[in-house]
Amino acid sequence: MLVDFEVIKRAQNRDSVAFNEIVLAYRKRILGTITRLIARSEDVEDVAQEVFLRLYFSLDQLRTPEVFEPWLYRLTVNAAFDYLRKQRRRLEFRMSDLSEQQVLMADATAGSKVEHEEQTKKKVRESVDSLLGAVSEADRILLLMKEVEGLSLKELEKIYNVNENALKVRLFRARQRVLKAFGAGGKKEGSG
Amino acid sequence: MSMRGNDDEKLDALFRAYRDACPDPEASANFMPTLWARIDSRQTFLFSFRRMANAFVTAALALSIALGVYLTIPRSTPGSGTETYVEALADANPLDNPDIVSPAARVDLNTR
Repeated sequence: MLVDFEVIKRAQNRDSVAFNEIVLAYRKRILGTITRLIARSEDVEDVAQEVFLRLYFSLDQLRTPEVFEPWLYRLTVNAAFDYLRKQRRRLEFRMSDLSEQQVLMADATAGSKVEHEEQTKKKVRESVDSLLGAVSEADRILLLMKEVEGLSLKELEKIYNVNENALKVRLFRARQRVLKAFGAGGKKEGSG
Repeated sequence: MSMRGNDDEKLDALFRAYRDACPDPEASANFMPTLWARIDSRQTFLFSFRRMANAFVTAALALSIALGVYLTIPRSTPGSGTETYVEALADANPLDNPDIVSPAARVDLNTR
């Protein structure tokens, strides 16, 4: 927890100073998560503000401060999902990018300093976005929360309010679809 | 190692690379003022909506009471509300009215 339970309780009673404290503590983390979930930097602040706006008006529904973080993540996931659905940003699954991504991935993960680091990062982002175009917005978010944000199944269980088995099945299927797309890209590269 | 396992590892590596390629950004200076402006705006909207809803409920309540009072006040037309169904029927069809005499009796009268 980045803030004390007492601060959350004060914010629940519409204490604006306490609410400010919460926003300042979690702002960076939420901005980062949204950046990775929606992959559109110009709208990240807007979605993050929507998250904190929803938090402000729903804090009184929070039963105990102990579940604050899963609650905040749930709001983040919902806001990102609403954004993606609104934008209908189903990225096209571009086979040409997949052949390139294998090389880029090797560069990025090897830790070697390449000359155009920013360019490489951009390409990695585009590659992952292309791959995630193979799954729905909801599965994209779930997969990123697990694989990129590093949340455990227990944490995801609290966020999604579903049991672990259902989550495992959904994650497995989403990952299989992405893997299929990933493999198809690799094969194309091999034959090309 | 199988091809599938190899792809799994590569995908994990790609996700890790994605994490590094999308670092946590810093918020702009306008983040907090804009957030509070949005909160105020939403609060104003909710307040107006609540006030409108209250006015609507009050008006509906007043209308219900008025309608209730109107329905409970006895009608001023004579006899209405006090007479029974049988009495009302008797008023509408007095005994000297030939309509209540059976058709057969009427025929007998005519033949005489």
